[in-house]
Amino acid sequence: MAYLELKNVSKQFGNVTAVRDFNLDIEKGSLVSFLGPSGCGKTTTLRMIAGFEQPDQGTITLDNIDITTIPPNKRDIGMVFQAYALFPNLSVRENVAFGLEMKKFPKNEINQRVSEVLEMVRLTTIANRFPHQLSGGQQQRIALARALAVQPRVLLLDEPLSALDAEVRVALRAEIRRIQSQLAITTVYVTHDQEEALSISDKVVVMNNGCIEQVGSPESIYRQPQTRFVATFIGTANQFSGKVSDDHSVQCEHAQLQVADMRQFSKGEDVVVLVRPESIQIQFEPTHEPNWNLLEGVIETVTFHGAVTRIGVNAHGQRIVADITYSSSTPISLGQHCWLAFRSESCQVMGLEK
Amino acid sequence: MNPSRKNKPSTWQYILIGVFLFYMFVPIVSTYIFSVATRWDRTILPEGYTLNYYTQAFKASYFISSLKNSFILSIATVLVGLIIIVPTVYWVHVRVPYTKPLLDVLMILPFGIPAVVLALALVQVYNFAPLARSPVLLIGAVVIYSMPFMYRPVSNAIQAIDVITLTEAGQSLGANTFQLLRRVIIPNILTGIWSGSLLVFATVFAEFTLTKLIVGARFKTFPMLLVEYTRINGNTAAAFSVISFTIAWLASLLILWVGSKGQASYQKAIGAR
Repeated sequence: MAYLELKNVSKQFGNVTAVRDFNLDIEKGSLVSFLGPSGCGKTTTLRMIAGFEQPDQGTITLDNIDITTIPPNKRDIGMVFQAYALFPNLSVRENVAFGLEMKKFPKNEINQRVSEVLEMVRLTTIANRFPHQLSGGQQQRIALARALAVQPRVLLLDEPLSALDAEVRVALRAEIRRIQSQLAITTVYVTHDQEEALSISDKVVVMNNGCIEQVGSPESIYRQPQTRFVATFIGTANQFSGKVSDDHSVQCEHAQLQVADMRQFSKGEDVVVLVRPESIQIQFEPTHEPNWNLLEGVIETVTFHGAVTRIGVNAHGQRIVADITYSSSTPISLGQHCWLAFRSESCQVMGLEK
Repeated sequence: MNPSRKNKPSTWQYILIGVFLFYMFVPIVSTYIFSVATRWDRTILPEGYTLNYYTQAFKASYFISSLKNSFILSIATVLVGLIIIVPTVYWVHVRVPYTKPLLDVLMILPFGIPAVVLALALVQVYNFAPLARSPVLLIGAVVIYSMPFMYRPVSNAIQAIDVITLTEAGQSLGANTFQLLRRVIIPNILTGIWSGSLLVFATVFAEFTLTKLIVGARFKTFPMLLVEYTRINGNTAAAFSVISFTIAWLASLLILWVGSKGQASYQKAIGAR
């Protein structure tokens, strides 16, 4: 049974449909990310869960209670904002205690809880400072502590790391995940950063143009994208357009590609075959093996990315990228002739219309 | 920029500053001197000095009561203005931000209506007891008249903070609108509230036209006493002016002090971001 449930939720701003017929079940204690480009409706959906926006249609239920019309201050849903939104006139301790004071907790319990959450975000030493004296990362940790202090039923995070430096971002996202699992608090996390969404979530909801494109575990989103949008938005994908020629192959312009899973597509249909760069090997002597595809090409670019090296290959006029773990013993030079090899299992077939 | 050029104003700038200071200070300085001069119509400087006019001013039958009435009027106007303006500005910024231009225009209107017209219109409309020609009606009129002075600083202060996000943060922590205003919004716009209050206080303390036309002699304020004395004794009237100036200046100093304090804490708050 779902803990937080959105049913047929739609929201329009003037003529623009921000969210269209959104249906989602979120299990208790899980971390779900809304991932998509800006303007895809992810923040609007989050704000409807928080109660800051009213859906035009549909219902939102929390623990089997319809909360659609309940005002935000009575929902028991915590929120962390991109801009931290700490109260500038209150000290760190007072900020964290704010929600508990609103709920009229006894003084000694407030003190105890504040100390607990400050310890959780590892910031007990700065309890008496004011927000303007803290770094961005510290401010956001305090904002997280403030939201957690009241023990909300759901925690919402609206691009909480977007305003921070890369290093702080990675550290803090691990911290958020650690605290979330420790408290087993149901969490919705909005981000446009795919790496963030994939690394932190139990479930990822990919959104585009106000609609859900795909819901699934981070791995299934990456490995089995259901739409072309998901395939290209998450990570990089090489695309080959062609026609289905039989149950296991697609005829493209310059090659016939073997495909392990043809899904629902039948002979003669126009399709796109997607291959991730890391699934492609570069060979200088072609090795013909069953279930492997081989494409001939010329190396055009070599870009060092640290852990991998991205090779750009011109194969019959189409640019294809392959990520290889670089070893200097096999020097790669521009203009070199090569073969691109990839397994039939690495090929994802998509319909054209999506 | 060349520092020597920057530090040397041109002759024209000196003349302009000189004319400005002359224009501003001569009447004030003259009033101060006149209030302590024995006789000052035949010589360049007064023939002698005395504090008699101040003694007369302080002994005037309505001195205390008119001062008290002026304080009542000013403080009541500030309070009513605050109660109307602060929640309105907050509500407009958070809930209906698209109506803000309309409010901006509305808040200029009092400047465009002559006090005489406002006073006569109010007297005509509210010509029934207990409102007719009462101090309450006067406070209502003065609130309208001084509203722009309250609105501007408060509106600017609200604009300077991220009022929508702070509101949402407070709501998500369970605060209702009243708790939000009291604990979060008002403490963060206190500078604007102070400047607005003191501007209104100073304006209303010197208000004459509306008082004269709406309540007349029944509620004698300090400016009315002053005008009365211009017909009796010029020097005593000057002494009244000096007392009035002093109160207005103390109010202005308070504004400057609060303003600089607010500016400093605002810079501190913004600086770290």
